[in-house]
Amino acid sequence: MKIIVLIFLLLPLISGIAALIFRNKRFAEYITFISSAGTLVISIYYLLFLLHFHSITLLNNAIIIDKFSAYIILLVAIVYFLSSMYSISYMRFAIKNEGLTDNEFFRYYLLINLFALTMLVAPILNNLALYLIDIELTTVTSSFLVITEITEKSIEAAWKYIVIVSSGISIAILGTVLFYLAGNIHGIHHGIYGIISSLDWTVLSAHAVYLNKDLVKIAFILIVIGLGTKVGLAPMHTWLPDAHSEAPAPISTMLSASLLNTAMYGIMRYFNIAGKNLGFNYPQEIMIIIGLFTIFIGVMGIINQKTTKRLFAYSSIEHMGIISLGFGLGGVFGTFGALFQMLAHSLSKPIMFYGSGNLLHKYKTKDIKAIKGVIYTMPKTAFLYVAGALTLVGAPPSAVFIGEFLILLESFKKGDYFISVILIILLISAFIAILAKINSMIFGVSNDESIYDINNLKITKGDFGLASLMPMAIPLILTIFLGLYIPSPLKLFLNGIVRIIIK
Amino acid sequence: MLGLVLPVYLDVTIDLLTAFILLLSFVMLSSKWISFYIHAYGIQSFLIFILTLILGIETHSVDLYLVALLTLIVRCLIVPYMLLNMMKKFNIKEEINLSIKIPASIITGLVLTVFGYFLIFKLIHNFVPDIIINSAAIALSLVFIGFFMIISRYTTITQILGLLVIENGIFLFSVILTPTLPLIVELVVLFDILVTVTAMLILSMVMKIKTGSFSTSMLNRLVG
Repeated sequence: MKIIVLIFLLLPLISGIAALIFRNKRFAEYITFISSAGTLVISIYYLLFLLHFHSITLLNNAIIIDKFSAYIILLVAIVYFLSSMYSISYMRFAIKNEGLTDNEFFRYYLLINLFALTMLVAPILNNLALYLIDIELTTVTSSFLVITEITEKSIEAAWKYIVIVSSGISIAILGTVLFYLAGNIHGIHHGIYGIISSLDWTVLSAHAVYLNKDLVKIAFILIVIGLGTKVGLAPMHTWLPDAHSEAPAPISTMLSASLLNTAMYGIMRYFNIAGKNLGFNYPQEIMIIIGLFTIFIGVMGIINQKTTKRLFAYSSIEHMGIISLGFGLGGVFGTFGALFQMLAHSLSKPIMFYGSGNLLHKYKTKDIKAIKGVIYTMPKTAFLYVAGALTLVGAPPSAVFIGEFLILLESFKKGDYFISVILIILLISAFIAILAKINSMIFGVSNDESIYDINNLKITKGDFGLASLMPMAIPLILTIFLGLYIPSPLKLFLNGIVRIIIK
Repeated sequence: MLGLVLPVYLDVTIDLLTAFILLLSFVMLSSKWISFYIHAYGIQSFLIFILTLILGIETHSVDLYLVALLTLIVRCLIVPYMLLNMMKKFNIKEEINLSIKIPASIITGLVLTVFGYFLIFKLIHNFVPDIIINSAAIALSLVFIGFFMIISRYTTITQILGLLVIENGIFLFSVILTPTLPLIVELVVLFDILVTVTAMLILSMVMKIKTGSFSTSMLNRLVG
């Protein structure tokens, strides 16, 4: 097992460095693709292994892979795989259309691998402080990916991103120090000093009842604010639409579909500790309030958006709100629904961001009003884009529908009808707003004669190559399949995670 | 330091050191020139180094010696050197754009300090001696002042320094309240500071080359 974990971590590292050293474009593309495929295979292997075992522990408990970690690793690996495939198509167009230089190209391939590596490391770390530092490293690597094409806008987005998220992580570190303090002062009155001198979540979770309750309350709020900055929970979400819209499409996808989940994973580890210490009501209420507010902000953003990628960035905010609401409602349905929603989010976001990338290279703009008649110019992309949008807003059969439905069910079951009503209204608003905008882009014109791009050049018809369509088709098939049928191993696995979180 | 009875002269020393640390963050708030900020940050880090060293000697903890040494190297030498080097390279003499003027900044800083004191007092007065409450309150107010610096000054370098002041505050907090914090945590936090500051410096250099200024007040294209 040691060797497999080592290979798992070395694959992205080696492929990133090799891409930089050999300076061969095709080689860089394919080695990244191979390494991401290898990572995906290993992450599925973890999943199968953990169906029968409790957890994988290595290096004196420094590395622990339990079901929850393996699940997050799977989500990251899926998106890494899709993004490395889509990069082949996207970066060639970036060179052709936007004049990307060789240096920028190889820097991109170095950083995309390092970014994936930092995200893959995060869930397997046992020490909470190390986890936070690793999240900080994801910020550093991805902020340089945001400025792959150096423009004033992308610099602005990267700067906002790094300043806001770094200060958020500082708050989370403060919260972690308070968690440590909470474990160290309880004993003073009882004559025992330093009961829980550890920051490992396994230790903290096992001895949660011994922590000082007042400090844990404050510490958990600090963690939600700090890591919530990274997750994109409102009102700390302000960096998210900028970074997502200015980054290249494969990176927007990795930011949205895997990074946010990786940060949410951290919140749930603290959630578990705080819940065991204070009773689950306290952290759940915080998650519900912040979740509802986040959904509200996300939907308002969706309604106001004028560019494609910002639209889906706000949709990410909305999804993260739904996920935290699901965890907040708790219970088996709520938690299961939130976990399933994480998978659904990771599958449906790539379709939309990759589709927006294709449109960007066809129409040379992200402006929704300027994009018309995609159905005539790129029929295959248009089909996948519309189908993806339907799965994204939660039309059945799709994984998003199942996740949202389960969360709604939990709110009914608990009798929180107020939450159910607000959630339904907001979901319907998002449904209408997204579909109306997609509709105007895909159809929009009556015939195919009058379609021009932003520079008033006639658009040549035809889709891009397979590398631009496959990354959209694979998650679409998966998300529709999961909407119809959840395989029983996956169900068992998710039930195992539910037990880990709210045990 | 919890559960530890210190001799009186050490109490006084620690009080004095933390008071000076707070004073230096007010020096930053009251200055219009970037080099003042950097020097004040360097001296503040040096005082934190001395404090850590004293605590290390008092608790006979080898870990704290190591942390103190690394603090000296990273926070006190490398980071200010990098920032000053950057200033020299781009020949920056520009003043800082303030969104909140200096007198108001100082008053806000005072309010934040008092707020930090009350917060800490309410949180931990049950189980720690007064001297620790004072130092921890100052550590927390450093965090607040750092945030205030980020939002009230429109220059990339002052925003970096704001983050560094926050980190200093958290470090002071953790050294005073939880000196038994695992060594690995302090080490990676220092590593993280280095990486983040380097990344932010590179970003601001790119910004300077592209837009001709370190000012962040023109970063207003992405809205909504």
